[in-house]
Amino acid sequence: MKINKHLIWLAILVWFPFFTNAQLHCGLVEFVPNTSESNMLTFDTPAKYQGGITINGAARLKINVKDQTVPDPLCSWNLTLLINNNPGAGTPNNEWEVLTSYGNGLGNNPLIKTLQIRVRNACATSPSDGVFQTFTTTSDIIDIIAALLPITPAGSCTTNVNSPGNYINNYDEFHFDIDIRVVPKFAFNPGIFQLNLRFHLEENP
Amino acid sequence: MKKISYLVVAFLIFGATSLRAQLIDEKDVTITMDLQPVLQLDMTTPDQIEFVFDNINEYFAGITHYGATILKVSSTVSWDLYAVGRSSGSNGAGFWDQQIAYGSGTNTNAIANLPISLLELRQSQPNAGASAAALASYADYSASFTAAGTPSGQNSLYVNGGSNTPPSLADKYIGGHAGTTGTGDFLPGGSYLTQTGTTSNYYYSMDYRILPGLPAIFPNAYSADGLTAQDIVTANAAGNYAEPGVYTMFVQYVLLEDQ
Repeated sequence: MKINKHLIWLAILVWFPFFTNAQLHCGLVEFVPNTSESNMLTFDTPAKYQGGITINGAARLKINVKDQTVPDPLCSWNLTLLINNNPGAGTPNNEWEVLTSYGNGLGNNPLIKTLQIRVRNACATSPSDGVFQTFTTTSDIIDIIAALLPITPAGSCTTNVNSPGNYINNYDEFHFDIDIRVVPKFAFNPGIFQLNLRFHLEENP
Repeated sequence: MKKISYLVVAFLIFGATSLRAQLIDEKDVTITMDLQPVLQLDMTTPDQIEFVFDNINEYFAGITHYGATILKVSSTVSWDLYAVGRSSGSNGAGFWDQQIAYGSGTNTNAIANLPISLLELRQSQPNAGASAAALASYADYSASFTAAGTPSGQNSLYVNGGSNTPPSLADKYIGGHAGTTGTGDFLPGGSYLTQTGTTSNYYYSMDYRILPGLPAIFPNAYSADGLTAQDIVTANAAGNYAEPGVYTMFVQYVLLEDQ
């Protein structure tokens, strides 16, 4: 009987934190599709160096967030953007990763802040919709739809829509076009450089 | 007793099935940037620049073509720019090609080998990248043409035996200096498209002069460093002069990366 008491307390201790921390409100949170994409920016004329290269629609995010079978009024989501430059290779946290160098060049590798990113959709659901933004270091995070905001229902076509919904029924709110632009000018070493953008979709706790 | 045990097992199973974090999905977009080195020299110039000496004044005072060539630079890397005189070498390396000789061609004092360095250049903008060229007496072609009767090698064209190899530390460049051998003597990447104005280091207007003198010995022909005279008399013998005729050569402008 004494052993069983211990078992009861052990079970409560194990069970209780899991139950309280792992409270799920949504049934599904996903990008459709979530395959990786790649874009190549080739600068081979002075005009491109000076004027830059812009790729509109470098990526398209289509979001599908479903409620649980028994709808939970607290189901909502956030979308953030992170950047990675393969720091394991010794890349400084404010520079592009160097894949290869062409000679010695001007001495400076391109900075992360030369990459400009713009998010947009028809309803301008992101507060930063239509504005090119930059990262200064790899520790920066850009909020597209910030976390822990009050729930704004799908179909309202306003900022911060974060309720369950999907790109099929509410395309203008659950779809984001990602544009990128780089204007290197004449300041950096020639070579091939790389960055990885990671879009992070998560339900709000 | 059994009931309590079942309850414990049920708690454990329920706790385990609740072991989940918030739902997450992620999508990656890789961006690769290829910054190719660009060295672009835009040149506006006639196909041929003619110097016709057919009266005494032109022999005395020479002929100057102002702004005959416009050079415009765009570069994504550090660079040097130089001019080098060349010919096909029919009269020997470093000499003008004689196309036609006027007269009988039997006068032993008439010399057909005219040094390419007799051509003088003047650039509109001083070489801002020549500050480290301490060894060069004349680091560029920015000095004004000297008056007739005052021989000088300060504007004589760089020649290196008919090749287009870069000038040395002691020789003239239009922009930057010493090719890849010097340090800190380059002009940085940039473009005439944005670096505008009369003081731009990416825009040069080039003047050309030939001063034969009388007799026609070309007193401003000098070696690559501008210190050793190469006029007809010095290079040959007293009493010699340039053989009348038609001669050709060409100026090659070379833009190179200075690493």
